[in-house]
Amino acid sequence: MARIGEAQAPTATRDALARGRLRASLVPDLLVEARRIVNTVIAGWHGRRKRGIGENFWQFRPYVEGDSSRIDWRRSARDDHTYVRDREWEAAHTVWLWADPSPSMLYKSTGASVSKESRALVMALAMAELLSRSGERIAWPGLTDPFTARNGAERIAAQLMHAADLPAKPDLSGIRRFCDIVIVSDFLDPVEDTIAWLDVLARHGVRAHLIEVADPAEESFPYAGRTEFTDPETGDKLTAGRAEMLGEEYRLLYAARRQELAAWCKRLGWSFTVNHTDRLASEALVRIHMAMTAEGAFAGRARA
Amino acid sequence: MSWLPLSFGAPMVLWGLLALPVIWWLLRLTPPRPQTEVFPPLRILARVLRREETPQQSPWWLTLLRLLMAALIVAALAEPVFNPREKLPAEGAALALVIDNDWASAADWGKRVATAERLIADANSNGVPVLIAFTAEKPNAEIGPFDAAAALNRLRAAKPRPIPTDRPAVYARVASALESLPGTSVAVLADGLAAQGDEAAFNTLLSKNAARVVWAVSDRLSLTGLTGADNQVDGFALTAIRAPGDPAPAQVTAGAFDDKGRRIADATLTFAPGITTATATMAVPFELRNDFAYIALDGERQAGAVRVLDESSKRRRVGLLSQAEADQAQPLLSPLYYIRRALQPFADLVEPSSVDLADAIPQLLDQKPAMIVMADVGTIPEQARERLVDWVDKGGTLVRFAGSRLAAAGNDDDLLPVRLRTGERSLGGALSWTAPQPVTEFPKTGPFADLAPPTEVTVTRQVLAEPTPDIVERTWATLADGTPLVTGMKKDKGTLVLFHVTPEATWSNLPISGSFVEMLRRIVQLSRNQGAAVANAEAAATSLAPYRMIAADGTLVPPTPDARPLVPGAGPLPVTLENPPGLYGSETGVFAHNLLGGDSAFTPLARPEITVPVTTVQYAFDEQRNLKGPLVTATLVLMVLDTLAVFWMGGLLSRRPRRPGAAATAAVLLIALGALIGHADVARADDAKPGDTEAIGDISKTRIAYVLTGEPGVDSISRAGLEGLTRFLIEKTALEPGAPAGVDISKDELSFYPLIYWPIDPAAPMPSEAAIARIDAYMQQGGTVLFDTRDQFANGIGADSTSPATERLRDILGNLNVPPLEPVPSDHVLTKSFYILPEFPGRFAGSPLWVEASLEASNTEHRPVRTGDGVSPIMITANDFAGAWAVDENGDPLLPTVPSDPMQRIYALRAGVNIMMYMLTGNYKSDQVHVPVLLERLGQ
Repeated sequence: MARIGEAQAPTATRDALARGRLRASLVPDLLVEARRIVNTVIAGWHGRRKRGIGENFWQFRPYVEGDSSRIDWRRSARDDHTYVRDREWEAAHTVWLWADPSPSMLYKSTGASVSKESRALVMALAMAELLSRSGERIAWPGLTDPFTARNGAERIAAQLMHAADLPAKPDLSGIRRFCDIVIVSDFLDPVEDTIAWLDVLARHGVRAHLIEVADPAEESFPYAGRTEFTDPETGDKLTAGRAEMLGEEYRLLYAARRQELAAWCKRLGWSFTVNHTDRLASEALVRIHMAMTAEGAFAGRARA
Repeated sequence: MSWLPLSFGAPMVLWGLLALPVIWWLLRLTPPRPQTEVFPPLRILARVLRREETPQQSPWWLTLLRLLMAALIVAALAEPVFNPREKLPAEGAALALVIDNDWASAADWGKRVATAERLIADANSNGVPVLIAFTAEKPNAEIGPFDAAAALNRLRAAKPRPIPTDRPAVYARVASALESLPGTSVAVLADGLAAQGDEAAFNTLLSKNAARVVWAVSDRLSLTGLTGADNQVDGFALTAIRAPGDPAPAQVTAGAFDDKGRRIADATLTFAPGITTATATMAVPFELRNDFAYIALDGERQAGAVRVLDESSKRRRVGLLSQAEADQAQPLLSPLYYIRRALQPFADLVEPSSVDLADAIPQLLDQKPAMIVMADVGTIPEQARERLVDWVDKGGTLVRFAGSRLAAAGNDDDLLPVRLRTGERSLGGALSWTAPQPVTEFPKTGPFADLAPPTEVTVTRQVLAEPTPDIVERTWATLADGTPLVTGMKKDKGTLVLFHVTPEATWSNLPISGSFVEMLRRIVQLSRNQGAAVANAEAAATSLAPYRMIAADGTLVPPTPDARPLVPGAGPLPVTLENPPGLYGSETGVFAHNLLGGDSAFTPLARPEITVPVTTVQYAFDEQRNLKGPLVTATLVLMVLDTLAVFWMGGLLSRRPRRPGAAATAAVLLIALGALIGHADVARADDAKPGDTEAIGDISKTRIAYVLTGEPGVDSISRAGLEGLTRFLIEKTALEPGAPAGVDISKDELSFYPLIYWPIDPAAPMPSEAAIARIDAYMQQGGTVLFDTRDQFANGIGADSTSPATERLRDILGNLNVPPLEPVPSDHVLTKSFYILPEFPGRFAGSPLWVEASLEASNTEHRPVRTGDGVSPIMITANDFAGAWAVDENGDPLLPTVPSDPMQRIYALRAGVNIMMYMLTGNYKSDQVHVPVLLERLGQ
């Protein structure tokens, strides 16, 4: 019997970059909704549609006592009120990107078009492309510090190619407040471990976007008969005499894990997106795009 | 396999062990190879699998278990033998076993028998007859040849004997028997002790037809024997010997036992390195030493380590002699009184029957006493004197006390330690300047040196010794002015002692002091018995019956059937089967016949020069073990383990309770358990022992009881009724009863309750006779039963008509001892015990309450003076009290009264209160009945 799933060779980053560009081209420019003030404001190219430090006019508003802004006397002279001129805030936002490099990501079943690792890398690079195009600062934890570049995706791809061994779980404690982070992984570790790993983000007030890349075989468990399962990360082996007997219970546990993680994200105001490797990467990209730009959906709850 | 005492009967089978790797391979490969799949969410799957799935192959320990099983089966088939022994050569025409069964073989007799059994078994397998001879048996004992079974029986019947061997005789018999059996193997199972005539005996044995010799030896001759036990002045001297050839020092403990076998003393004998003799002294008090019956070495289970003791080492006999006429009226003035009192605890006193010294002294000397005390004896008849002197010279101790006769008799060099001055000296009289002299410290050289000086003793008169050069060393005690009080000297082997005062308290108060006892005792200890006194003169002349024998293992036993009377004579008596060691005589006097003489020594038996081939074997138990059985057992155990392991891995044990059927089974089990516990509760109701918690609950509060008729409606009304009465009682009176108790009259203890309410229901089963008997007993013991037929309006019209309940009541009462009854008279205590009640209605009104008729019931004229004793044991009504009393939880009445009258219910409750008060206070209120009469008499 042919095997259902197998581990794939790691995807060539160059290839992933090309595919990532392709995906990114399908998504409009990503205007990261920057609603948090960063202490070190770095000018970006896109307006925030909000008053702040910038060059473009945003609005006149009535002067109130104690307002530190300078009064715009030209406007104030036109009537009896005094006005202050607000400018549109133009600032770059820092978005961290990370795709899980662990061996379990290399899995690809017969029903899937690409391996999970490939999908994750494509999505991360597509995000990098999008964000770079918008002039945001992007970074890869454990690999680069935040930087702004038109060719951000290329730079990250090049660094990934030359990176010797990336940590399975990078240290996230360096990510500061008001940043966004996009984490692409299969989140197959026990939920408690994942939450413990990501908890530092929640404590730092980072807004995270979790993309779970799932292989259809993992979700549907199509195995039957005497099967020896091997964990690609630990090498543990388990033999099931009749694998089909386990399916129902396994699916329950699998779904429970996902629900628990999603619920935790929802509580923190984070987004949680599931992307199956037999579907298009763009679907997830669009969702992440919406999540990053949407003002109210997550932000309100995060503040609460 | 010299490094492991293991051999195999079929070693070729062991090649089967080569199959083990194949089995291992098979075991490993038995399950089909699984489809291998990479599966990243393995951890999630593992949570499912952990409970659900069998592992892909047998775990290593199960494989190991099964391999071990296979290996064990192979090993068991190879017939392994642990500690295999070599076959003893027993070819030839016959096997002749010569076995020493003397006292020296007793300690390891079992090993000798085992060795002989092996030899016999080999002879049996070789099919040769066996001669078996024991060297310490009767000379006419049968020696064979026997077949192996008979020889084995003889061997097992043989016992070690507490006597030495007689090798020459027995060996000669065996040799003569061997004449017709050429080529015999001779097995010599010797005890290792050399004896006289050994060499000749072995020559005789091996001269003819002995083809080969099996020489059995023990590793080492490790015998210890007691050769001497001597009662000395300050202790009991013991001498022990051991076999030579043991260079190491050794310690043995000797214990002294009394005639009941109790251990009363012990001592440790230490053998110096290379020395075969050890001595020790048991330093125990004199009285205790006299109780010694035998002395045994600890840990030596043979006759040589035991020594029996006879009279010669025991209590001293002391002869008492006096010339004063014993005045029975004044015993305190008898010269021998204090001596007798002082000596009795630790010496046998002998007194002559004659007062004539010429008769008395020989009479005493015939008893061979250790000591003779002469209280103020003056001149001794010449013939008696010669014997006395002779007795002293041979070791007797003569103690003399002074007195007027001795002072007058003059000197006697042979029987006095010092020369005396004629007359005596008086100290401290009315006409004297001198004061009575105290006694000073005892001279350090004398025998009294370590006694405390009697400071309270004073001497007023004494006889004086002539001052001679050696007076100082003969002085054992002196007065403060230096004059001797006690003098003594050794004379030949004997001792002469003179107390310079009288033995009674006239000359001094020495005889009534504690020191007198101490001094006499010290002198007694110095003395020696002069030969064994024989109680039975005729028996002494002929023979002594065996009394207590020393068995081969060193215990004292009654005489064996072989034992013959011992004829004591001159010279050492031989220890033979007829005269085994032990005590001879009777309870009155025994003679000790011991195995080892004082000059005994253990000489190891040397193997003689033997020309024929010799095989040397060790005495040892047969330690050969056939291991096939244990191996098969181990295999079976492993199989059971394997099955259990398979069940366990199959989840049979853990999954079972989850199945619905199993749940049902568990439920059934639980129910059964509950039923058991419930049953136990029922059983507890039978248990009316004190301490029962229920009983304590019943008696710690007054409770009204009702009979459980078995009809639920009746019982619940009874309970509710009594509950209502209880509430009413609590409300109105000082009585606060506990909850009503339903009793099963056939089982429950009734005596806890003052009143039992018994509603008669014709539908209820008739109580058994035993139950009615219990009710009867309850009534006899002071309880009261209130019968309620509840049929006041159910009775038909007419005197004869009865309701079924009344019929039932009659049936019940027919088996009871019912006293004469009467309706409660108007002046009965019941009408006044709390409320004043003319009648006792219940739910119905009109039925009288019947109680026991009082004595003068018939005499209405004397009714006021009713007998107050006793409470009616029975009350009968038909008014259905309980129905009227019955209340629900809120205290509202349950049943309407007939006729419906609220006051009738109150009266019914009052009737209940009166009945309870009557029950609890008895006739106390009956005095109140008489109050009018009493007041009238007082003249009001």
